[in-house]
Amino acid sequence: MIELHRVWKVFSVGPVKVPALSDISFRVAKGECVTLHGASGAGKTTLLRLLYREELPTEGDIEVLGCDVPALRVRDVAALRRSIGVVFQDAKLLPGRTVYENVAFVLRVLGTPRREITPRVFDALRRVGLSARAQAYPAQLSQGEAQRAALARAIARKPLLLLADEPTGSLDESMAGEVIDIIKDIWARGTTVLFATHQARLAAALHQRTLHLLSGRLVKDEG
Amino acid sequence: MLGFLIGEALRDLHRAGRVAVAAILLTTLSLAALGGFWLVSTNVGQAAEQWRDRVRITVFLKQEPSAAETDELVDRVQAMPGVAAVRYVSKSEALGTLKEVLGKDASVAEQLPTNPLPASLEVMLNEQGATPEGARGLITRLSELPETDEVSGGMDWVDRLARGRRLLDVIGLGIGAVLAVAAILTVTTATTLVLHLRRQELEIMRLVGAPELVVRLPLLLQGMLQGLLGAVMAIWLLIAVYALAGPHLEPLVNQTLGLERLTFLKPHTVVGLMLAGTMLGGFGGWLARGRTAP
Repeated sequence: MIELHRVWKVFSVGPVKVPALSDISFRVAKGECVTLHGASGAGKTTLLRLLYREELPTEGDIEVLGCDVPALRVRDVAALRRSIGVVFQDAKLLPGRTVYENVAFVLRVLGTPRREITPRVFDALRRVGLSARAQAYPAQLSQGEAQRAALARAIARKPLLLLADEPTGSLDESMAGEVIDIIKDIWARGTTVLFATHQARLAAALHQRTLHLLSGRLVKDEG
Repeated sequence: MLGFLIGEALRDLHRAGRVAVAAILLTTLSLAALGGFWLVSTNVGQAAEQWRDRVRITVFLKQEPSAAETDELVDRVQAMPGVAAVRYVSKSEALGTLKEVLGKDASVAEQLPTNPLPASLEVMLNEQGATPEGARGLITRLSELPETDEVSGGMDWVDRLARGRRLLDVIGLGIGAVLAVAAILTVTTATTLVLHLRRQELEIMRLVGAPELVVRLPLLLQGMLQGLLGAVMAIWLLIAVYALAGPHLEPLVNQTLGLERLTFLKPHTVVGLMLAGTMLGGFGGWLARGRTAP
């Protein structure tokens, strides 16, 4: 499903080279749920961005869903991303659209037949417990609800792989727990999950394999 | 999917607000200028064609020929290239015409001791003769006839009218082109503004792997819609001006150019203007499209 081999990512700031990831190698099998744990700046976001080809590695090999990610052409990047769901700490909901429209929007742009859109949107909203908030705008949602709407948007496409980049980062304990439960449910239904967090307690809450990043290095692979 | 893309384009048009309105108005101005000059040019062209058909060359004869000589002379002129028809006008017919023209003052002509008017030939031109070069060649040949005293008439002023029409076309195209460039740049600005407003949507679309066509087509459609709206407004503007000013201008045009009625643009020209507007807007949207690259 995911395989990284000796991956380096170095950012250049003028003449200064700043290594964000150093010599990272690991594998994630299909159906696994893996937590990526590390403090802010440890390289979690950069690592996830490499997986959906938002960034290119400076060195090393990356394979995701059978694709040689750095070698992909632009149109193949789009094809890869159709199989990957991504959620972020800030939810990235479109402010001018309702929760329903936010979820339906991605289905529409991907050419989903019109008759399938409504059932799929409501199925996704039901799974995250937001059916009753379908007509609410993002500004009317709590942070936890916004994050659940973002998860609904990601799972409505039925992705093979879910990349969650600190989705609980700005949530209180109760809301974070709800999001963790939803992620567990998504994983239980067969989606491979890579969940990045700086909160050790949440990493432990998933009771799954955890990769520990420290200053861009993979220091421990446990579970 | 097409319905979704058109819906997105309409939503974008609404978002662009005043800039989109400015783009539509500039497109309207550009096409109205082009269409207006086209309208004037069409009518001037019609007048030129009409006058080309009416052009006569008059050959004044040194002396009135006998009936047999007249027939022989008419046959000789009729055989010349560029001649459609020849009519002999005798001295007495010419005097009769003069009296008709003088009307109540016709008695002046009757007091003349002799008829001073010469006999003449009225030469009508065919297609070959109704060109400046053809008419000049024919006038030369008619002047060389031994019976000829003087030749009058020609195509020069008709030619000047045709040249005036071409000048109108060039001016119309020039002004239309300048306004069209302004319209394209405004459409580009409107589309770029929408790109800025839509940056979150574009980010989401790219993130979920939307095909590039789906990302970019609404921008192109938005430009095309602006162009089409501008073209429709330009045509309405031309129709309004034509309907309001036409009846007032017709008597003047009738007296100066001899046209009985003004004519509006032909349907294919109207369709051409609408296509031009759509393409113009599409080009503006396409220019902005380049700025969406990740």
